Amino acid sequence: MTRARRTHGLSRRHFALALPSALLASGCAVPHQGTGRPGDPIVLTLLSHYASGELKAALQGPVDEWNATHDRVKVRTRAVEFTDLLTTFMVRQAAGQGADILHPYCLWTGQLVQAGVLRPAPPEHAEEIRRGYGEAAVGSSSVGGRLYGYPTEMQTYALYYNKRLLREAGIDGPPRTWRELEEAAYRTSRRDRYGNTLVQGFGLSTYDDSTTVGQTLALLNSAGGTFVSADGRTTAIDSPAGRAVFDLEHRLVAKGASAPGVNVYKAFPSGQVAMVVSAGWWTGSLKPLMGKDYRDVGVAPLPVPEAGDQRATLSTGFMLGVNAASEHPREAWEFLRWLNTEKVGVKSAKKGAKATRMSSLQVSVGSLTGRADDMRTLLSEGGDPNLRPFLDALAYAVPEPNVPGAQQAKSLLRKNIEALWTGQQSVDEALWTTRRQVDQEVSRAW
Amino acid sequence: MVNTLTPTTTERAHSPGSAGLAVDGRSRTRRRQVVVAYLFLAPTLLFFAVFLILPLGFALLLSMSRWAGFDLGDIDPVGLDNFTDLFADGSTFLAPILTNTLLFALGTVALALAGSVLVATCIDNLRFQGLWRTLYFLPIVTTVVAVGNVWKYMYEPGGLVNGVLNALGLGSVAFLQDPDTALPSVVVVQAWASVGSAILILTAGLKSIPESYYEAAALDGAGPVAVLWKITLPLLRPSLLFVCITQFLTGLQSFALIIVMTKGGPGDATNVAALEMYRQAFSYGNWGIASAAAFVLFVVVLAVTLMQLWIFRRKGEDA
Repeated sequence: MTRARRTHGLSRRHFALALPSALLASGCAVPHQGTGRPGDPIVLTLLSHYASGELKAALQGPVDEWNATHDRVKVRTRAVEFTDLLTTFMVRQAAGQGADILHPYCLWTGQLVQAGVLRPAPPEHAEEIRRGYGEAAVGSSSVGGRLYGYPTEMQTYALYYNKRLLREAGIDGPPRTWRELEEAAYRTSRRDRYGNTLVQGFGLSTYDDSTTVGQTLALLNSAGGTFVSADGRTTAIDSPAGRAVFDLEHRLVAKGASAPGVNVYKAFPSGQVAMVVSAGWWTGSLKPLMGKDYRDVGVAPLPVPEAGDQRATLSTGFMLGVNAASEHPREAWEFLRWLNTEKVGVKSAKKGAKATRMSSLQVSVGSLTGRADDMRTLLSEGGDPNLRPFLDALAYAVPEPNVPGAQQAKSLLRKNIEALWTGQQSVDEALWTTRRQVDQEVSRAW
Repeated sequence: MVNTLTPTTTERAHSPGSAGLAVDGRSRTRRRQVVVAYLFLAPTLLFFAVFLILPLGFALLLSMSRWAGFDLGDIDPVGLDNFTDLFADGSTFLAPILTNTLLFALGTVALALAGSVLVATCIDNLRFQGLWRTLYFLPIVTTVVAVGNVWKYMYEPGGLVNGVLNALGLGSVAFLQDPDTALPSVVVVQAWASVGSAILILTAGLKSIPESYYEAAALDGAGPVAVLWKITLPLLRPSLLFVCITQFLTGLQSFALIIVMTKGGPGDATNVAALEMYRQAFSYGNWGIASAAAFVLFVVVLAVTLMQLWIFRRKGEDA
């Protein structure tokens, strides 16, 4: 009986060995990717940060349309929150699970290109992108003059202001120069007897890298300065323009007109911030958040240091690119062309008006694209007037530097800005430390 | 029925010709036992090899390389450059990052240990001890993200803590925004969150102290402070050692609470080694620097742990 069991059945020893082996084998197996049968459609994966709410629904619309009208190539969306997007790219790519189509923040383009993650746009696509998009959009999707994807969401920075708070402080309209900005900030700021901020005159925020650095870089650009040199290998923050920006922010914090610890994304909608520099996407969030109070919100071009100075601001963006490891790059580029350059009728605009699916998608969520013609079409009737200054700024905005090491340079700048705001560093120390640290890291990244 | 012609086992063992056979048999049995033992251990050994030894070796390789994290063919050996960069003039790794890490761990251990001894001693003298232990243990079963967010709101300018201060007529404190108060503020939360497990261990330790010592102390007229210093704490030393080492190790590797509450800011005021490693690897693609930092942290953890063991052993306690 024992012999029979050994011959025909599974002995305890065999079972003891087989079970962990099976568990290990199943644990290490590659995830199921499809049937692999000839004739099955190619399934492309698209990884973005359009993870929830209206953003998710807005992207799913055109993807569903593509899937309904294309039999050979299907697209499947995957989404994570923006704060997890870069990490997800890195981890999935390292694990050999990178998506076919990536939707990165343009700041990371240099880093992703250097790591061999992004595939250069084929010449015919690059030509279409150069022809259809503004200079800032093309610049933010390029590294070393080479294009790596279709610009999608474009953001420019302008001054949001609370009309009611300015009016109550006896100020007629938004400031146009830094002097007016500072004056308005001091006049509108209020604190209680315990030192709690009731109203920030000018919102400076430590909320995240984008908020902290975006505000400073937008002001730096408006003063004619740049963060990184033209060749991308050194920082140019330690310049008169950089010093002027750091001085301005230091004064605002020291005199109590700014409270960087307050979450400006909550405080402004609550009427606790008179003015703040932010990007265009915020209009889409503010409207539902503020309800009827949104009528108090105005947007103006970023103030310049002196009256008559040339306007400039920061522009940031996202792009849709193709993974260098994708097995179906041709199909992926074709989908991107369909999404980003093919013009279709616009329901909400005047009869016969056409725009790309991506432009319609962006405007539907209160955002902008780098296609100025689409933006004018889509905003021609009934658009939010607060989006106009952002649209105008597309003409003169300076793209955020996206050199290799840009993310680290931005984080280092943020740390030093915070050190300045909290009194850990003087203006001189902050400028000098930023320059030394960023130069070291950016040079290593190359 | 007994076969008188076949030698017994004892006889076989003593007969010159059969001695070798017996030894062979025993060694065969022993070999088979060893093989079976290793077969049973194989899954675990394989697990350790795959998830510990291999990554450790890979991390060591990366610590002496430059790598963006995707293509193994792109690993570029750079010798000790990553370690040199970590300690180069102007690098923030030694100060404030490593300093913050040690201060964070020390602060957490000190607060958690003092708090848990105090609370455990109190609980030991209360009724419904299970209830109190459960209440103090609750933060352990709560996720770090939830704990961090709740405390973050409590520390905010209009939050509960400042509300209490204002009610007492005191001015508000920018707990997490001021570089001088940010690290201590997070330390308090980490200590609060870890005090539950320490209490659990210490109350078990307190139970193991014979009641007769306290009775003898009472007869001798010893006060509560003398009892604590002369009886409770010395006899609680094994539990204290365990709590001390585990809390310190947890503190040195702390990451989640800091990323939730301060993201390492303001500036680098609350930045710690684990957070910096995470950023270097997953945000900046500097896997070499991240791995080098990991090895430096490993050396620090090892040195501190050995030092703790040595100190306690000198005091007569074997870990």
